[in-house]
Amino acid sequence: MKRVKIIKEDLKTIFEALAQRYRTIGPKLVHGTVVMAESSFEDIPAGYEDRQGPGSYRLEKKETEEIFSFSPGADSFKKYLCPSSVTSFSFQKSAKGFVVDVPEREGMPLAFIGSRACDLAALSLLDQVFLDGPVRDQGYEGRRKSIFIVSVNCNHPSENCFCDAMGTGPYAKEGFDLCITEIRNWLLVEAGSVEGEKVLEILPHREIDAGDLDEKRIVIARCREMIKKSMKTEDLPGVIYRNLEHPRWTEIAGKDLECGNCTMVCPTCFCNSSYDVLSLRTVSSNLRDFSGVRRRTWDSCFSKNFARVHGGNFRPSRRARYRHWMTHKLAYWIEQFGSPGCVGCGRCITWCPVGIDITHELEELRRVR
Amino acid sequence: MYDRSIPFGATIKWMKKETRDTWTYALRINDREIKKSYCFQPGQFNMLSLPGIGEAAISISSHAADHDLLHTLKVAGDVTTAISKMRAGDVIGVRGPFGRGWPMEEADNKNVIIIAGGVGIAPLRSVMRHLAARHRDRSGKVMIYYGAKTPKDIVYRDEFPRYRDMFSVFLAVDKADPEEYWKGEVGLVTRLLAKTSFDPLGTTVFICGPEVMMRATISDLLIRGVPGEKIYLSMERHMNCGMGICGHCFFGPKFVCKDGPVFRYADIADFLGLREV
Ligand SMILES: Cc1cc2nc3c(=O)[nH]c(=O)nc-3n(C[C@H](O)[C@H](O)[C@H](O)COP(=O)(O)OP(=O)(O)OC[C@H]3O[C@@H](n4cnc5c(N)ncnc54)[C@H](O)[C@@H]3O)c2cc1C
Ligand code: SF4
Repeated sequence: MKRVKIIKEDLKTIFEALAQRYRTIGPKLVHGTVVMAESSFEDIPAGYEDRQGPGSYRLEKKETEEIFSFSPGADSFKKYLCPSSVTSFSFQKSAKGFVVDVPEREGMPLAFIGSRACDLAALSLLDQVFLDGPVRDQGYEGRRKSIFIVSVNCNHPSENCFCDAMGTGPYAKEGFDLCITEIRNWLLVEAGSVEGEKVLEILPHREIDAGDLDEKRIVIARCREMIKKSMKTEDLPGVIYRNLEHPRWTEIAGKDLECGNCTMVCPTCFCNSSYDVLSLRTVSSNLRDFSGVRRRTWDSCFSKNFARVHGGNFRPSRRARYRHWMTHKLAYWIEQFGSPGCVGCGRCITWCPVGIDITHELEELRRVR
Repeated sequence: MYDRSIPFGATIKWMKKETRDTWTYALRINDREIKKSYCFQPGQFNMLSLPGIGEAAISISSHAADHDLLHTLKVAGDVTTAISKMRAGDVIGVRGPFGRGWPMEEADNKNVIIIAGGVGIAPLRSVMRHLAARHRDRSGKVMIYYGAKTPKDIVYRDEFPRYRDMFSVFLAVDKADPEEYWKGEVGLVTRLLAKTSFDPLGTTVFICGPEVMMRATISDLLIRGVPGEKIYLSMERHMNCGMGICGHCFFGPKFVCKDGPVFRYADIADFLGLREV
């Protein structure tokens, strides 16, 4: 696949070329955080650096020419590909039965600009969940199908990143149409698909040489060195299964607020609930003829009634619900889909209001008491 | 293939009261194309729904060759209560079939033991109907153990005489009814099992009932020498999507909706005794 060298300003050309055929979704500054939003080249929060810690996130403007000086905020692909609320279908009920109407997929496909390696890894996990099961999720498939991805190799990992330990980052190996490495005052752009190559054609560029590739390697190695967090993955899932009754679970439950933030920001957490919503008119008029929609919204295994059935609840305690979440990420997922459900993005650590750190908790579980 | 995330309409053809709180519904799929391509395995389930009220996972109780889809449901909460108020001619929403059913190849020409408790007989009725239909051509014994609260709570009570002609049938109730003559066992299903003899190595066992009952039964079976690989059970968990994408039905690492609801005991033994997994 084609690899070229461009000047930074030509990233704007990439945005504009993609905007012809896609809605461009990129990083943007909103209320003091980096979010994913419909955006243009000018929206990139270039020069901002983030400080992340357990339960903390701060942005700061730096004197730098760098474009991708920040690491990702709370948003990931799932915000767009399995949105927090979707209408699966609408229905019209009458005395004779009901008629269902499935909404058409509307609008232009999406181009994602600035996705990181961990996000690509998370996307391929979501693909397994929604596309490889006995029933393909047609809504996800429709949104996923024609996307374009411009990924960025990381220069500035956050304090909570541990992708290196999970084998998902800090640079992308596959799953992108274009991949950018920012090197001093230029960008190395690699195509990962035919679609990506077509975009490269229209850019003023120089072919790269061996020296340029060495520079990419140096950037990646430097980033790796900056990653301070890690997760010991040896002996997963066994170490969790052997410690399902470890006293640590009760201690975590004492801290945990069950806000579900970790599951909302996790790029692989996919749990959802579907329910019928009736139109207002319906509620006030008669009960034989009415209309409504089946809505699917994100749910969380931290919800109290998540495992409730008639006559009982399979996970009534907070301890069990936290344990279930972490066990799913680091143990069950391996059995279900062949790899951990954690990609090492660190979002759950940053956005947890009480700063529960999954890497730390795994270490605690390893401690024999 | 139609999209199993969208309910299709099915008309209630007839209904039958089984017990004071359990009804059997015969449904006929309205759409001709869907009716033609709809096919299921014993042990699979449908999500039955009423627009605006909700959905409930209900096993398919009919035989594949039957004209109508049979569902037997016990009134529990919102959805099942609303369905119990419906009449012949009304339309119900159906999504399915979902899940992995009973391994029928393990039952063909083999000794089979069927153990059910309460409305847990529902997913096993299609196995019984399947075995009855092949009764003449198959070899191997079939033994049915069924436990209910009282004689009045026996689901499919009118069908048991027919099964008795072909299979060994053992019924037990927790409590006999003083107003009714009851010549069967009083006590738990496990007691029935303890009283009868069977070939532990040459028998396939299918179980469905409350989880405590299944656990107790399995531990007795294992003691009797039945290998864990030959015991199958149908699990119940919270169902929302039915197709492996909502996360509600986890039982340890298993999705009950797509890896189950029928599991081989040996595959889930590690998790069966654990609390709150
Ligand atoms: C694979 C499978 C097969 C089943 N087959 C049968 C059958 O053949 N006959 C029968 O009578 N029952 C069967 N059940 C149980 C049946 O699904 C519940 O009784 C039913 O969902 C209760 O719904 P409700 O709205 O009437 O009760 P409510 O008490 O109003 O609702 C119970 C609440 O739990 C949720 N819920 C989700 N899944 C379940 C569940 N599995 N059990 C209970 N509540 C659940 C509901 O969404 C709701 O929030 C089966 C369950 C499973 C998992
Ligand atoms: S569990 Fe935490 S670290 Fe893992 S993918 Fe989810 S948010 Fe990222």
